[in-house]
Amino acid sequence: MDQIVNENVSAADLKKYEGLYLEQQRRGHVSERTQFDYALCLVRSKYAEDKHKGISFLMDLLRSSSDNQTMRDYYFYIAVAYTRLKDYERALDNVEPIFKLEPNNKQAQELKTYIKKKLKNDGLIGMAVVGGAALALGGVVAATIAAVKKS
Amino acid sequence: MAAGPYNYSYIFKYIIIGDMGVGKSCLLHQFTEKKFMADCPHTIGVEFGTRIIEVASQKIKLQIWDTAGQERFRAVTRSYYRGAAGALMVYDITRRSTYNHLSSWLTDARNLTNPNTVIFLIGNKCDLDAQRDVTYEEAKQFAEENGLMFLECSAKTGENVEDAFLDTAKKIYQNIQDGSLDLNAAESGVQHKPATPRITMNAGVQPPNKEGCAC
Ligand SMILES: Nc1nc2c(ncn2[C@@H]2O[C@H](COP(=O)(O)OP(=O)(O)OP(=O)(O)O)[C@@H](O)[C@H]2O)c(=O)[nH]1
Ligand SMILES: [Mg+2]
Repeated sequence: MDQIVNENVSAADLKKYEGLYLEQQRRGHVSERTQFDYALCLVRSKYAEDKHKGISFLMDLLRSSSDNQTMRDYYFYIAVAYTRLKDYERALDNVEPIFKLEPNNKQAQELKTYIKKKLKNDGLIGMAVVGGAALALGGVVAATIAAVKKS
Repeated sequence: MAAGPYNYSYIFKYIIIGDMGVGKSCLLHQFTEKKFMADCPHTIGVEFGTRIIEVASQKIKLQIWDTAGQERFRAVTRSYYRGAAGALMVYDITRRSTYNHLSSWLTDARNLTNPNTVIFLIGNKCDLDAQRDVTYEEAKQFAEENGLMFLECSAKTGENVEDAFLDTAKKIYQNIQDGSLDLNAAESGVQHKPATPRITMNAGVQPPNKEGCAC
């Protein structure tokens, strides 16, 4: 899953599909396909701003879709985008609906496991930071007490 | 990762392409897990698998990108062709349309990979011989005319699956040995991992996700 989540779009692709999107926008109508192609580039961009834009494009597509297959695809890439943004809670929120559409989807299952692992690691790092701070603070307090006692 | 950073000396990048439902994901699964998935949903975008194999007593890590055959993913899946050392192009022997589309898959493969990319044609689902819609002979001829390696396989029974992946690797390795594949070329699809002396290993370890770079 690391490979899938961390894969970055090439600058050339991003530019190409952005161009197609802007061209259609200029003409007054963006097709679902063009928006989807551009969104999948944005999601795989290394810039946070692009990823957010990709998410809103996919959410927009999701609202106007009633087909299980395409909805599944939109949710999956929204979840990938949030995972890339390290927003694991929102990533999980978007994996879950896939199981309603396709209960045994292996890719969604693997993504979910991956996000949960990340969430747990982040939690541990957070605890270590807080724990470390408490220890350091404890040290300062002890040193102060010792200093006060001495004088 | 107790065995040190590299327990293989090469990385080969593969892609698997072909119409939806021909059995690409099942072939990958059979090759990496030695199991058959009876009902397998359509791939979303791309799936990934690895396996370490041995060719001429060299350990080689295969990094395999299994692309979605559904038309709406064509833009995403095309971005994975670049830098592939091997391409497995799959059709379903029971569905003629998947065979008829091969020339368009081949055009994509030729345009988006490099001239040395080994292209292997797989006629999958050969366990369903009673429903056959494409003869072995005509596919064999198509392969010969286009300079492709060819086998009929079954992701279900496992027949010939190992051979398709391994023969592709042997051909790539042979291209390295005879100098026709230049490892220094940016998009050869091959990375060489020379054995590093033990002592310097810890200092120069490349993070695992670096090596898995998909670009
Ligand atoms: N009998 C038989 N069925 C197979 C074989 N390989 C795959 N199948 C079935 O064919 C269907 C499609 O297989 P997949 O591997 O999902 O096809 P795919 O090419 O990955 O499809 P996309 O992801 O949509 O591109 C599944 O229901 C499999 O169980 C085979 O060798 N023999
Ligand atoms: Mg598949």
